[in-house]
Amino acid sequence: MGEHAQILPGTLDLLILKAVSLGPLHGYGVLLRIAQISGSALLIEQGALYPALFRLVRQGLLEANWGTSENNRRAKFYELTTAGRKQLRSEIEDWNRLANAIAVALSARPEEI
Amino acid sequence: MSVFHALRACAARIFRHAAMTDDLNEELNSHVALRADDLEHNGMPRAEAERRARIELGARGRYTEECQYESGGTSIATAFHDLRFAVRMIRSHVWFSAAVVTTLALGIGLNTMVFTIVNAALLKPVPVPGGSRLVATTGLSYPDLLDYRAQARSFAALEGAADLEGVLGEPGTPPQAFHLERVTTGVFSMLHTRPILGRDFLPSDAFSGAAPVVMLGYDVWQTRYAGSRSIIGRQVRINGKPATIIGVMPKGFMFPTTVELWMPVVPTADDLKRDNRQFRGFGVLRSGVTIPAAHAELAGIAQHLAAEYPASDKDFSAVVMTFNQLYNGGIIKTVFLLMLAAVGFVLLIACANVANMMLSRAVARQREMSIRAALGASRWRVIRQLLIESIALSVLGGGMGLGLAELGVRWFDLATSNVQRPYWVQFTMDYSVFGYFAALCIFSGLLFGIAPALRSSRPDLNQVLQESSRSIARPRGGNLAAILVVFQFALTLVLLTGAGVFVHSLINTLDSNRSVPAHELMVATLQLPDRRYDGIAAHKRFYDQLLPRLRTLPGVTGAALTSNPPGLGSAENPIEIEHAHPTDAAHRPIGSYVTASPGYFKTIHLPLLFGHDFNSTDGSPNHRAAIVTRAFASRFWPGQPAIGKRFRIFDDHAKPGDWITVIGVTANLVQDLTEQDRKPLFFIPTQQVDWGGISLVVESTANPTAEVRDAVASLDQDLPLRDVYILNQAVEHQTWYLRLFSRIFIGFALIALVMAAMGIYAVLAQATTQRTQEIGVRIALGASLRSIMLLVMRRGLWQVGMGLALGLAAAIPAVRLMTSLPIGVSPTDLTVFAAVVALLAVVGLFACWLPARRAAGMDPVTAIRCE
Repeated sequence: MGEHAQILPGTLDLLILKAVSLGPLHGYGVLLRIAQISGSALLIEQGALYPALFRLVRQGLLEANWGTSENNRRAKFYELTTAGRKQLRSEIEDWNRLANAIAVALSARPEEI
Repeated sequence: MSVFHALRACAARIFRHAAMTDDLNEELNSHVALRADDLEHNGMPRAEAERRARIELGARGRYTEECQYESGGTSIATAFHDLRFAVRMIRSHVWFSAAVVTTLALGIGLNTMVFTIVNAALLKPVPVPGGSRLVATTGLSYPDLLDYRAQARSFAALEGAADLEGVLGEPGTPPQAFHLERVTTGVFSMLHTRPILGRDFLPSDAFSGAAPVVMLGYDVWQTRYAGSRSIIGRQVRINGKPATIIGVMPKGFMFPTTVELWMPVVPTADDLKRDNRQFRGFGVLRSGVTIPAAHAELAGIAQHLAAEYPASDKDFSAVVMTFNQLYNGGIIKTVFLLMLAAVGFVLLIACANVANMMLSRAVARQREMSIRAALGASRWRVIRQLLIESIALSVLGGGMGLGLAELGVRWFDLATSNVQRPYWVQFTMDYSVFGYFAALCIFSGLLFGIAPALRSSRPDLNQVLQESSRSIARPRGGNLAAILVVFQFALTLVLLTGAGVFVHSLINTLDSNRSVPAHELMVATLQLPDRRYDGIAAHKRFYDQLLPRLRTLPGVTGAALTSNPPGLGSAENPIEIEHAHPTDAAHRPIGSYVTASPGYFKTIHLPLLFGHDFNSTDGSPNHRAAIVTRAFASRFWPGQPAIGKRFRIFDDHAKPGDWITVIGVTANLVQDLTEQDRKPLFFIPTQQVDWGGISLVVESTANPTAEVRDAVASLDQDLPLRDVYILNQAVEHQTWYLRLFSRIFIGFALIALVMAAMGIYAVLAQATTQRTQEIGVRIALGASLRSIMLLVMRRGLWQVGMGLALGLAAAIPAVRLMTSLPIGVSPTDLTVFAAVVALLAVVGLFACWLPARRAAGMDPVTAIRCE
């Protein structure tokens, strides 16, 4: 699985929030969506998903409701709450700041010092 | 929060937990279905697709817990999980668990029992309103009492009482003797206790010339009058004088101690003498007044009285005491406090044992804990697991302890139900005491179970993991455990020697009158009333008629009179030996003596060594005679024949009596079993002194009580037979607390022994298990059986040795403390010391030998592979 990137600790929540922000999803759907939007570069371990979903629900960032999937299966759908939306925005900003900083740091060349 | 609310909240959490688990299960099912749909869509057969989906998802159980944790409803659910695990651990280590539970149960149970008893006997106030402010003072005369009452400001009420024998009689029913108390009329209202039938005493009942009245105790009313409500107003005779029954007191009320009848004090000329100090004062302190303050006030009044009436009140001051000080002081108190000390040792040993076992277990599980921590269990989680295990064990132990304490208290209550116990001392289970000890034992277990866990759950995992059981270098946690074992053995030794010395002395004491056939001697007291039997001559006439009648009864082989049957006390007075160095009053030797009628020595089977028995003239004014024991003779006339020698007795006012001639010498006899410093004993003829009451001693193979009663009644209808016993029962009655105490003491000591043995066994067995591989290697390399045994036992034996040495050092002063007990405790009882040390050494050796033998018998291959 060399082509799959390891998920950094703490980023799973961010990815879930992002995936759900694009539209309500059930648990399996979250897995598919993350694979899809990361171009299959990021694979979530199934075992880590549900505890994370429960955690986000408890934190009030997600809301869960039972509904019906496109192929008529009963499934629990998650969507962002207002708090979740706010959290996602601030986490994206944080991430970008960090990513930029790291990118800048990593692109440093000897002559710039 | 009420229990109900707590339960409901708990149930709600469990339901929420159950609902969450259902929800999660359904969600996971839907996940599998959706994934299978996809796989099927890609061309996989449905069944295969579902199987694959399930495999990908993995084990379901682990989600449940993690999701519970993440969704916040954790503690109950995971605690439940931990509890299940704990129960599994407890069941899989049955012996360990049983040892911990038993130790806890004994530690908690015994201490609760003893504290409950001591609390009831020595500390708890009398259970009447204001009982905690109820105090007593002794040795008052009636005029003193009135003066104190008039002048003292410390008391809300002050009443007086004096003991008396009351023979209750009326035509048609045989007379019966009861414990009668003459009381001042306000005593019941002071105690806020009203009669259940009839009326209370009125002040006018105490006026001179008032119609005499009597109040019945509940038991008298029930047994003598069958609870009849029509007895109020009935005329009865008390000590031969008429009186009217005016009321019945409530069940269980026997104020101040074991009283069955009460009469008001109608002061007689005798009562009004200031030196007639037969009254005790009972008072209720005003709120806010302390005992020392009341004491100081009475002392001040006493000074005034002493100045006013120097002849009678000089050198006298009232001492204010609590009820328990008055009635359960002295020897009873010493015994109870010693019991408390003994059980304290048991508590210490129990705590040490629990701590030790928990410690050794925690050490043994250090690796397990480290692995759990390495796998990501939080530190709190690891500790909580241990905590729950300890709590589960503690709850089991505590529950058993509670049962044990209940049984113990009930047993003690029964064992002391027929001794003269003050009515307010009630031995009932004390739950706050139980809570206290349960907390103490459990806390010590937690402390030692958790401390190592805290250490091993710290994230220095690599070191612990690398240090696998292959490491032989040091026994982890060993030092603490070793110290605990040494401590236990030392305590056990102290306890066992204490118990041993006590019981050894007790056996010696109770065995002292071996020649007396105590189970074939009936004893009873007769008190000839002065009105009908005036003077020694009248008494002699009565007994001269009675004794021949008794001797002809079927089965009776002897009958005689004495003031005190063997082992039941004596009189003590200073004596002077004729022709001895004259000594001043303070240095006169003290002799103890009892009276005896002709035939007494034959009846009690006391051998007469020299001289002859009393005859009917001995004791008359010109024939003062005595028979002395061998101890008396050899003390005062060493190396000389005692017969014909003379001595005299000084009475309580230091006035010498007539010279008394020794006419015989008997073998030794012990009258004062519970006296530590026994005085030389002699006998004087019954008619030589004018003592009111006298004991009949009747020797018979069958119990002659009924016949003796009839014989007495045939001479005098109105004369009750009192304190009827077979002599061995009477002696037991006197020494009940010593026997009881020795039983309890021995029990404690044995329990301590078992616990100490368990402690050292557990520690050694644990240490040996840790060294299994090392031992296997040694055996494989050809180590001899002996060297393996030595290897294992060396440490244990060293601990036992240390414990014994320390224990001996502590036991010698502890036993010396016990010499204050009323039996001849010898502080250097070498037999007991040697026996106890030997016993402990053997037990310790055996406890060490068991794991050593197991180690030596191991198969080296299995041992080396052991992980």
